[in-house]
Amino acid sequence: MSPHPRTAAEVDRLDPARALLAGGTDLLVRRRAGHQGGPLADVSRLRDAPAPVRRLSDGSIWLSALAPLSVIDRELGGKLPGLRAAIACFASGQIRNRATLGGNLANASPAADGVPPLVVAGAVLRLRGPAGRREIPVTEFATGPGRTRLAPGEWIENIDVPPQPAHAGFRKIAGRRALAISIVSLAWTWDRGPGGALTGVRLAAGAVAPVVVRCPGAEAALEGRAPTPDVVAAAVAALGHDISPISDLRASAGYRRAALAGALTEALTPALTEAPARRNT
Amino acid sequence: MKVNGVPVTPPDPDARLLDYLRDDLGLIGAKEGCGMGECGSCTVLMDGVPVCSCLVLVCQAEDADVTTVEGLRRTALQEAFVTGQAVQCGFCIAGMVVSASALLAEHPDPTDEQIRAGLEGNLCRCTGYGAIVRAVREAAR
Ligand SMILES: Cc1cc2nc3c(=O)[nH]c(=O)nc-3n(C[C@H](O)[C@H](O)[C@H](O)COP(=O)(O)OP(=O)(O)OC[C@H]3O[C@@H](n4cnc5c(N)ncnc54)[C@H](O)[C@@H]3O)c2cc1C
Ligand code: FES
Ligand code: FES
Repeated sequence: MSPHPRTAAEVDRLDPARALLAGGTDLLVRRRAGHQGGPLADVSRLRDAPAPVRRLSDGSIWLSALAPLSVIDRELGGKLPGLRAAIACFASGQIRNRATLGGNLANASPAADGVPPLVVAGAVLRLRGPAGRREIPVTEFATGPGRTRLAPGEWIENIDVPPQPAHAGFRKIAGRRALAISIVSLAWTWDRGPGGALTGVRLAAGAVAPVVVRCPGAEAALEGRAPTPDVVAAAVAALGHDISPISDLRASAGYRRAALAGALTEALTPALTEAPARRNT
Repeated sequence: MKVNGVPVTPPDPDARLLDYLRDDLGLIGAKEGCGMGECGSCTVLMDGVPVCSCLVLVCQAEDADVTTVEGLRRTALQEAFVTGQAVQCGFCIAGMVVSASALLAEHPDPTDEQIRAGLEGNLCRCTGYGAIVRAVREAAR
């Protein structure tokens, strides 16, 4: 294998036939199973890798696509609680010390836990490669399981997250707490407006469609309304039309629908108990 | 690369770190249980943090400080595993001890919850984990 790149510019000039090796937690597992046996280029040790987390003066945050999840988590401090909640239930400590957001995005699994929080956050991926740089919203990046809009030789350098609303979270439902692939996942963000109304509601669900999806029906059922039990029920009903889960070895489509409905109800429950108390006092 | 403090020059940059440690250096503490990041029996420290050596290539650890169970200086922890009868077949234990040493470096007085979280990436098919958690708690005293 020819020498590994040590700068971002060297990555841009690589033969596109060489697969980028970041944390290796997807790629080396696939190789062991006999897939993707071609030449690799290690990008885990670039000298000019972007800082893991960079806070900009306009309130936005740039995340490095190449930094291990555990480093991103530590450096975020109290920021991006939805992404941090996803990292907290991601694989195991050993995997989080290697796995990257770039690898999670490029692997394009519909069950990727790092992706729903970035989708609700309206993140933009900063790509670069032989043809220069471009930006693409994370919502447009994956086109199907394992498929993305990356051109040959193109790679993800940064993830740009704009300023966020006050409330964000992530819920994963899986077979066990650690080292389990999501059966379903849900990420959310919202603000609370006058009278406790939910504003800026964004929901994204994992493992219920070929790619991570926004849930526009459920979002519309919540937007501008104070969360009462009726509003929550309407949102849960609308959620059923936003998703197209399949049955596979981990769960049936019916289980996925029920579990995601439960996750949304749970996510809204704190808002529900807050709102009437505020009105009465 | 340094392994347990000793500078080394691995012959094959594309080998898995686990294979280099075991086959070339004879450090057979780290074991291959699954070879895919699931079991943690291959856990070593890379610059102080636990990683699965089955999912790291030698070229990725070129500038790293690698510590295997053989290089740990935390005898109190190892003794607690032995005296607490936290070892049955032993296959998982090197990985457990390496993860536990990183946990204790971060949380010298961990709660049971922190111990279980610190060992979440290490599977044991024998002990049922109770004795392992008690041994780590004992070592922290
Ligand atoms: C035991 C285990 C448990 C796991 N648990 C979870 C889990 O709970 N949740 C979850 O979502 N995933 C999980 N995974 C999957 C995996 O850890 C993640 O998808 C991880 O984020 C991949 O990142 P990586 O850096 O290891 O990618 P790599 O394996 O290095 O690369 C994956 C793919 O992305 C490409 N790539 C990497 N970086 C870039 C980049 N910057 N630009 C363009 N392409 C790039 C590579 O060429 C490759 O095709 C698990 C894996 C294992 C082994
Ligand atoms: S052998 Fe590496 S995690 Fe199982
Ligand atoms: S002691 Fe046998 S696997 Fe843990």
